[in-house]
Amino acid sequence: MRFSDTMLGIVLLFLGAAIAIYARTLPAVPGQQYGAAAFPTLIGLAMVCCALILFVKGWQAGRLPLVARTEWTRQPGALLAVLVTILCIIAYIFLARRVGFVPISFAMLLVLFRLLSVSWGKAIFFAVAATMATDYVFRSLLLVPLPFGVMPRLPW
Amino acid sequence: MDAMFQAFGLVFTWQVLTTVTAAALFGLLVGAVPGLTATMATALLVPLTFFMDPIPAVGAMVTCAAMAIFAGDIPGTLLRMPGTPASAAYTSEAYAMTRKGEAERALGACVLFSALGGLFGTLVLIFAAPALAEFALSFSSQEYFWMAMLGLTCATFIGSASPVKGMVSLLIGLLVATVGLNNASGVPRFTFGSTDLMAGIDFIPAMIGLFAVSEVMRTMAAGAPSWDNVQVKVGNIFRDWGGMLAHYWRQQIRGNVTGTAIGILPGAGADVAAYVSYAISRRFSRTPEKYGRGHVEGLVEATSSNNAALSSAWVPALVFGIPGDTITAIVIGVLYVKGLNPGPTLFLFNPQTIYAVFLIFILANLLMIPLGWMVIKLARGLLRTPRSILMPIILVFCIVGAFASNNAAYGIVVMLVFGLLGFFMEENDIPIAPCILGIVIGPILEHNFITTMIKSDGSLLTFVNRPIAAVLAVALALIWASVLYSTFRKRQEAST
Repeated sequence: MRFSDTMLGIVLLFLGAAIAIYARTLPAVPGQQYGAAAFPTLIGLAMVCCALILFVKGWQAGRLPLVARTEWTRQPGALLAVLVTILCIIAYIFLARRVGFVPISFAMLLVLFRLLSVSWGKAIFFAVAATMATDYVFRSLLLVPLPFGVMPRLPW
Repeated sequence: MDAMFQAFGLVFTWQVLTTVTAAALFGLLVGAVPGLTATMATALLVPLTFFMDPIPAVGAMVTCAAMAIFAGDIPGTLLRMPGTPASAAYTSEAYAMTRKGEAERALGACVLFSALGGLFGTLVLIFAAPALAEFALSFSSQEYFWMAMLGLTCATFIGSASPVKGMVSLLIGLLVATVGLNNASGVPRFTFGSTDLMAGIDFIPAMIGLFAVSEVMRTMAAGAPSWDNVQVKVGNIFRDWGGMLAHYWRQQIRGNVTGTAIGILPGAGADVAAYVSYAISRRFSRTPEKYGRGHVEGLVEATSSNNAALSSAWVPALVFGIPGDTITAIVIGVLYVKGLNPGPTLFLFNPQTIYAVFLIFILANLLMIPLGWMVIKLARGLLRTPRSILMPIILVFCIVGAFASNNAAYGIVVMLVFGLLGFFMEENDIPIAPCILGIVIGPILEHNFITTMIKSDGSLLTFVNRPIAAVLAVALALIWASVLYSTFRKRQEAST
C-alpha cells in the first residue's frame, strides 16, 4: 500500500493537529512557561508543516491516486502471506499464556513453513528443532519465564 | 595505567572471550544473509545481553556489529545483494569483480581493509573519546540540547533521499519518545489510561519490530524466493594483499579518515560513510572510467570507511550519550540497563570499563580476519540456506526477544505495532533510521530544553549565551542552510 504525497499529507495533517490539540489538555507547571505540553505541541506543529510541504509536492506531481497498490500485492498469495504472519503474532499474544510456548511456537512455525511451501517433512523437523532450541536457550540458559500453558516442563 | 591492567583482567576471561567469539559468529552469519542488517543483528542480540555482565554484554554488541558490517560485503560480492545497507554503496563494483573472476581479490580486500578501517576508527576512539570527555565535563544543558539537535539534524538530512520524509520519520520517533510519565513535570502523556504505556514505549521491542519483523513480513510477501546459486569458486583471499596495500594506501587512509569523521558526527553512521567515501574515491581517482566495471580502488576506500565509521560512532555515544548511528542507539539502551550511563562521567568513574570496551574493539577487528576467512569459505553453503526456513525461525526469535525485554506480552504488542509501522514506512520510502534516533535522542532533547528553560526562567537567549553552545548553534544553522540551499538548487536544476 503506497500513499501519494497528498494522502501522506492528509494523514499527517490530522495526526499533527490531534497531537497539538491533545497537548493543550496537559497540565502546565505553575510558574513555568514550558511544561509537559511544550514538546508535543512542537511535534504536532512540525507535522502540520511537513503535511503542507507534502501537499505542495503532491500538487506539483499532478493527479495521482491517493492510495496505490504496490507491485508485490499483485503477486498471488502475497497479501495472504503478510496477513497470516500478522495473525500468527496476534495468536501468540492471545494464546501463549493458555497454551504454552512450545505448542504455539510449533504451530506457528508449521503454518509459516507450509505457507512458504516447505515440504511437510522438513517443516515438521525444523518446527520441532527450532522450538526446542529456542525453549532451551531462552528458558533454561537465560531464565526467561516463557509461558508453560498446558505443556509439562521439558526435561532440561 | 592501573585502570588499563584492570581492563585486561576484565576482558581476558573465558566468559568474555567465548561471548565475543559467539557474538562474532552470530554477526557474521546475520550480516552475510541479504536483508538481515547489522542493526537487526544487534537488536536481536539485545534480549540475550540482559542476562550477561556489563563487559561481555557490551563486548558482544561491539563484535557482532563489526562482523555484520564486514559480512554484508560477502553476498554483495557473490550475489550482488548487499548483506547490510552499509555495503550497498559498492555492491555493483564488487559484483563486477566477481564476474571478471576476481571474487577472491574483492573479498580479500573487504576483509583486510574492513579490519584495518575498524582498527583506525578504534584508535581514534581511544584517543579522542577521553579528551572529548574532559571537554564535555564543562557542558551544561544548553550544550547537550544543541548536541542532540545536531544528532537529529544529521540523522534526518545526511544521506536521505527526501528531507521531508526523513523529517516525518524523525517526528514519528520523537512522538514515540514522548509517551509515558518520563518527562520533566512527570505528567502522563499519550497513555490513554494504560498502565503499560505509563513507563513509555519499550525501546527494544520497538527496534525488533522496526528492523526484524518488518523484514520478515516483506520476505513472506515475496514468498521467500531462494537466492541464485553461487557458482563462483572463491580461491585464496590472501593473495595480493601486499600489492593492494602498497598500491592503495592513499585510498585506504582517505577512507579511514572520512569514515571516522562521519562516524563521529552524531546521527550519521556506516551507511553514509560508505556512500561518501565511494564518491570521493571516484572523484579523486586517476582512472575514474574504471569505476563500476570491477575496479578494486573504490572498494578499498569504501570498505575501509564503513568499518571506521562503525568504531568512531561510539565517540558521541560514550561521551555525550548521543548515538552516532542506529547501532549505537541500541547500544546506549543496553549501557543504561547495565548501569554504565554514557556521558563524560563514565570516563571518570569507570575508566576500566571503557578501556575494556576499547580492548574488545581491537580484538574484534583482529578476529575479523580469521573468522572472515572461514565464513567466506563457508559462504557457498551459507547462501544456499533457504530463506523459507530462516524467516519463520527469525520471527519466533523476535517474539521471544520482545517478550524477554520485560517478560510480558506487552513487549510483543509493541513489536507487532512497530513491525507494521516499519513495513508501512518502507513501502512509502520513509527512512527508518531517523525514527530510531528520534526515539533515543528525543528524551535527551526535551529534558535539556525544559531544564534550560527552568534555569533561565523562560528566556530563549540562554541557548546561545555560552561560547560552546553558540558555536554549536552556528554549526547547526550552517547545516540547515546548506540543506535548504541544495534542495533549492536541485529543484531549480530539475525545472530547467
